Amino acid sequence: MSNQNPNREIETREKQEVEREKTRPGIVFRPDVDIVEQTGEFLVVADLPGVDDQHVNVRLENGLLSIHADLAVEPEPEWQPIYDEYRVGSYYREFALSDQIDVNEIKAAMKNGVLELHLPKAEKHRPRSIEVKAG
Amino acid sequence: MASIRFRSPRSRDSWADLDRLQRDMMRSFDRLGMGPGPARGAPFPPVNLYETTQGYVLTAEIPGVKSEDLEVSVEAERVTIGGKRAIEYASDGSTSLHRRERQAGVFRRAFNLPEPADPEKTEAVCRHGILMVRLPKAESHQPRHISVRAS
Repeated sequence: MSNQNPNREIETREKQEVEREKTRPGIVFRPDVDIVEQTGEFLVVADLPGVDDQHVNVRLENGLLSIHADLAVEPEPEWQPIYDEYRVGSYYREFALSDQIDVNEIKAAMKNGVLELHLPKAEKHRPRSIEVKAG
Repeated sequence: MASIRFRSPRSRDSWADLDRLQRDMMRSFDRLGMGPGPARGAPFPPVNLYETTQGYVLTAEIPGVKSEDLEVSVEAERVTIGGKRAIEYASDGSTSLHRRERQAGVFRRAFNLPEPADPEKTEAVCRHGILMVRLPKAESHQPRHISVRAS
């Protein structure tokens, strides 16, 4: 698989606010994600800067996988903002889950503000090579 | 690399307010897809700067960047941050990317503080994808308490 050129200059996209999530105070952003399919699993990787493993909530309900996260690292109230390029808030994103996923085996890990979700394919959906016998 | 000059909040006036208003408007236009010229992302990482009683705090959102891949330098009022963000997924021949929103690559940005910082006392910490650089003001720029003696 071709990975991105490691030497190109990265750009920042404006954080996208989530419109529908209005049940809590504060701003909610839609995190950037990568979704990678491998032989045995789907991998969902989400950028959640400022979030640790204690502040992320992954739920699975009615075939919908949702990620909800709050900040563990926040600016302190007595700091006076002089210049701002990004806004802070919580994060929310949801995905309709394929029925190929073995929901009991989903695993999640947080590292450096990045959530990695491993969604293993159910046994019957894994590719299998079938031996051809001579007749 | 464009360098950004911060304005001190003490000099904040109607021009600063206008500046902020303009930035907010540009943001709204961008969201509506009405930004000027070809759509181009802002530089990475996005940075905020705060003033505290002792000096400044610079924060940057750098999810997925390891601290060993980060470089912060301070010289008087100039702060430079640089590094790389690597994104690699194991490939087993049948790997396919269904969505790619996260970007990998290198970055370098420079900023000018309103007043010089003390490089010796500057501390940088990277936690949960947030870089936080605490920049105490240089001694000569610290507010000093002067006791008044009776004559």
